Amino acid sequence: MRVFNEIAVVTTICIKSIPQRFWASFSTVVAVGLVVTVLLAFLAMAAGFQQTLRGTGTKDMAILMRAGAQAELNSGVTRDQARLIEEAPGVMKDPDGKPLVSPELYVIVDGVKKTAVPADGNLKKAPRSNLTLRGLSQAGIAVRPGLKIVEGRPFKPGTNELLVGRALQKDFVGLNVGDTVKLGNSSWLVVGAFELGGSVFESELWADTPEVQDLFHRQNVFQSIRVRLTGPDALKALSDYATNDPQLKLDVTTEADYYAQQASRTSDLIQKLGWPLAIAMAFGALAGALNTMYSSVAARAQEIATLRCIGFSGTSSFIGTLLESLVLALVGGIVGTLVTWVLFDGLTGSTLSGASFSQIVFTFHLTPAVALQGLILALVVGLVGGVFPAWRAARIPIVEAYGTP
Amino acid sequence: MTGQTLIHLQDVSKRFVKGKDTITIFDHLGLSIPAGDFVAVMGPSGSGKTTLLNLLGGIDQPTEGSITFDGGRVDTLTEGQLARWRAHNVGFIFQFYNLMPTLSAARNVELPLLLTSFGRAERRRRVEAALSLVGLAERANHYPREMSGGQQQRVAIARALISDPKLLLCDEPTGDLDRTTADEILAMLRLLNQEMGKTIVMVTHDPEAAKYARRTLHLDKGRFTERELVA
Amino acid sequence: MSDFYLLWRNLFRRKLRTFLMMLAIFVAFVIYGVLGSIHYAFEHGVDSSADNRLVVVNKITFIQPLPYAYVGKIAAIKGVKNITFANWFGGYYQDARNQIGTFAVDPESYLRIYRDDLRIDPAARDAFIHDRTSMVVGEAIATKYGWKVGDRIPINSNIFTNKADGSHTWELTVAGIAYAAKESFNTSFIIFQYENFNESKTFGKDTVGWITLETDSAAVNDQVAATIDEMFANSTSETDTQSEKAFGKAFLAQLGNIALIITLVVGAAFATILMIVGNTMVMAVRERTKEIAVLKTLGFPSWRIWRQVLGESVLLSLLGGVPGLAVAGLLVMVLSKAASGAIPGLALTLPVAGLGVAFMLLLGVVTGFLPAWNALRLNIVTALGRL
Repeated sequence: MRVFNEIAVVTTICIKSIPQRFWASFSTVVAVGLVVTVLLAFLAMAAGFQQTLRGTGTKDMAILMRAGAQAELNSGVTRDQARLIEEAPGVMKDPDGKPLVSPELYVIVDGVKKTAVPADGNLKKAPRSNLTLRGLSQAGIAVRPGLKIVEGRPFKPGTNELLVGRALQKDFVGLNVGDTVKLGNSSWLVVGAFELGGSVFESELWADTPEVQDLFHRQNVFQSIRVRLTGPDALKALSDYATNDPQLKLDVTTEADYYAQQASRTSDLIQKLGWPLAIAMAFGALAGALNTMYSSVAARAQEIATLRCIGFSGTSSFIGTLLESLVLALVGGIVGTLVTWVLFDGLTGSTLSGASFSQIVFTFHLTPAVALQGLILALVVGLVGGVFPAWRAARIPIVEAYGTP
Repeated sequence: MTGQTLIHLQDVSKRFVKGKDTITIFDHLGLSIPAGDFVAVMGPSGSGKTTLLNLLGGIDQPTEGSITFDGGRVDTLTEGQLARWRAHNVGFIFQFYNLMPTLSAARNVELPLLLTSFGRAERRRRVEAALSLVGLAERANHYPREMSGGQQQRVAIARALISDPKLLLCDEPTGDLDRTTADEILAMLRLLNQEMGKTIVMVTHDPEAAKYARRTLHLDKGRFTERELVA
Repeated sequence: MSDFYLLWRNLFRRKLRTFLMMLAIFVAFVIYGVLGSIHYAFEHGVDSSADNRLVVVNKITFIQPLPYAYVGKIAAIKGVKNITFANWFGGYYQDARNQIGTFAVDPESYLRIYRDDLRIDPAARDAFIHDRTSMVVGEAIATKYGWKVGDRIPINSNIFTNKADGSHTWELTVAGIAYAAKESFNTSFIIFQYENFNESKTFGKDTVGWITLETDSAAVNDQVAATIDEMFANSTSETDTQSEKAFGKAFLAQLGNIALIITLVVGAAFATILMIVGNTMVMAVRERTKEIAVLKTLGFPSWRIWRQVLGESVLLSLLGGVPGLAVAGLLVMVLSKAASGAIPGLALTLPVAGLGVAFMLLLGVVTGFLPAWNALRLNIVTALGRL
């Protein structure tokens, strides 16, 4: 018990003396805060990106593409192949007995990010980004039960009408309901916006299949087939069927796996950028913390020596000093977390996904797990920055108590 | 062996504003110090000893009145001119030595020569001479923290002498030293006065120290209370 | 002894503290050097492409092909000096993860357009033109896979199917290796004959991915671009013609605002050291208030002391920053190797290093300004407690 009391006394002295070295302590807090902010911004970006892609795939949805295509963009599937799949095993049927199979067209069109609009507002000069235009039919909506039309209505078959993903609509120019979009030499009318569980699909434009086939001169060709599966074993059955039939030669994966694979590459890259940067910066902050703590120990040398003189142990000086450092670092960590939360959480960004070759809109997401990593980094800085000065504090000779201040 | 007037203070007043109050240190003070004099200034705390030394050394300016040094006005000089004047004409010796802790004894002594145009060889010669004069030639490469108080004060004296000023100002030069060491330092100052003709003004609390001077001035509440003439 | 000696001794008065400051500055400049070089490589790689080069793509998106017939039509337009075209092949070697930028091109016209960017042996050039199943491999790729002239390599496509056997593989002979004539030119590519490609693929016959052309001079760029786009207006494949530079920039911009991210990170790193070093310098100078007062008493003019304090912080900044830039240079070299030519021209260039040194000086001046000012203003009488 006695040791705890001693530690409490020394810690109080240490922490109460922080305001006396306000600027030194402040600079440490800011330095740690900046390090944590940089780390968390990157991690929140990675987490947000991953969440968007992971949230897209469901295990009970299969995606079929030409063997070896790897991505929808590269794939090609014929109408005949799509018909064969409708008779495949493992395919779920709707109450009317219609198989839940959606052959889909996947093409790229251009759009302008809101942030890329030049100062003079001239959209012709704005750099353009790749957007996904998905051609699908009523079946495409039927295989996606989570779909919610949040504004307007779905496109009517046989018309140049567009249904726009909610995320895309927020980030890109001219995609409000009622806007006209020019694709090639035809005009398309935006008639509605949809949400689909924060998935990648919310970064897409949807339109009626034949219209898109016309625009891209791709009659009777699709890029992928979405299939609603009957159960956990269905994938295997479908896969066997699709690989064995020489007419098919299609790769079958669950949508969950397909998007998870796409997610991992980009979010790994973001994390691989974020961590080394944060660690490098942490060394800088560590230098600041060590400096502050050494000057703190020097400033309190006489006080500490006096306590030692009246019988306090070196351990209490050690722990008291260490706690001061940890408190400063923790405050910095919390400040950094709050700054990240205010500035970045919920911020939307978009990037070109390598696999889909089109823009994916995602939201920075400061998850508790991410925030925890930031706080741990802050505490590591506080620990290392405190332990050496604390060692010095514990070894202050008692005679210092008699020295001149 | 004193000669013409080196320093002349005429009607010097010095006032400080502290908060709402104005504190008057000197009110129309007059003082003449001939060249070659060795004056001890004694007096209780707050009598104005230090301020007098500040004014004589040109690190502070009078509120009113004139200060003449070697026939030239000092009180009208600008800050930059004063700095140059100090470098040429005054050597300072402080109670706590005020050596640069980062420099060796030799380099501490050499410091004022940075303000001159002497070449490297000449500087070295002078530093060696000054250190020999104070008996510390073999300590040239020691740092202040490696030396005793008396040794440090001797380095300070060497530093004060290096640019060959006419006037040495000493502020309690033995206040931090034991009797024996103090006597050594004071003897050294007397030697500088007698052999080299340096004019010295020394502020001290110590009547024993004052005995080394040619005369002693007593300062009380900004006035000289009695004046001992040349011994 | 000189003022510099005084400054030096003051700087290393407390070795641990100075070392820690230098470490913080070092780290910030490593970050600056690496990120700055990456940024520069991106920007410069795009900027270095010829001014009079235009790219014609499908107006819907550059991924959508154009009819082959457009090449001849555009070639006839006044102001077009040279013209070529290319097709994206979606090539990879052995494993689908080993993607290679593979283009089907018309050998002669392609190498003519890129004559200033690529260096290729004349014999290899002839071999490439005459052998239908040959390819030219960029240096980065040749080095990566150890391919030599004469090797027959199976290149796979993740898009196209080979009519000959229904596979996705084309066997191609290495006719030669192309080297970058400009440092900023990316050599991780393969080019092979369009004729071979066009006749062996199962779909999309007689289309080209994009057309690259050279105008008589950059001055006629806008006019030529307008003529081309008008020519195909209201056709089934409308075109969008822009300079190669603008095209490259737009593509990079798609990755995200790289410049902004780099600026923010470097800004955060600099803000950190500004806080730490600035604060420490103020403390360090405050500690020696008395010494500065003594120097002034000895007759050192204020400006000289001001200069010393400022010099000290600038020196500190340089001592931490210059090694930081040097290490950044090494890291960038390693990174450049690891990226195997994916970021061409990635090196610590003179402009980046020069700006770095300017930042060091600025950092030194900013962190030294307040303490130097305090030293300048320092009153001897108060500082020595002589009242």
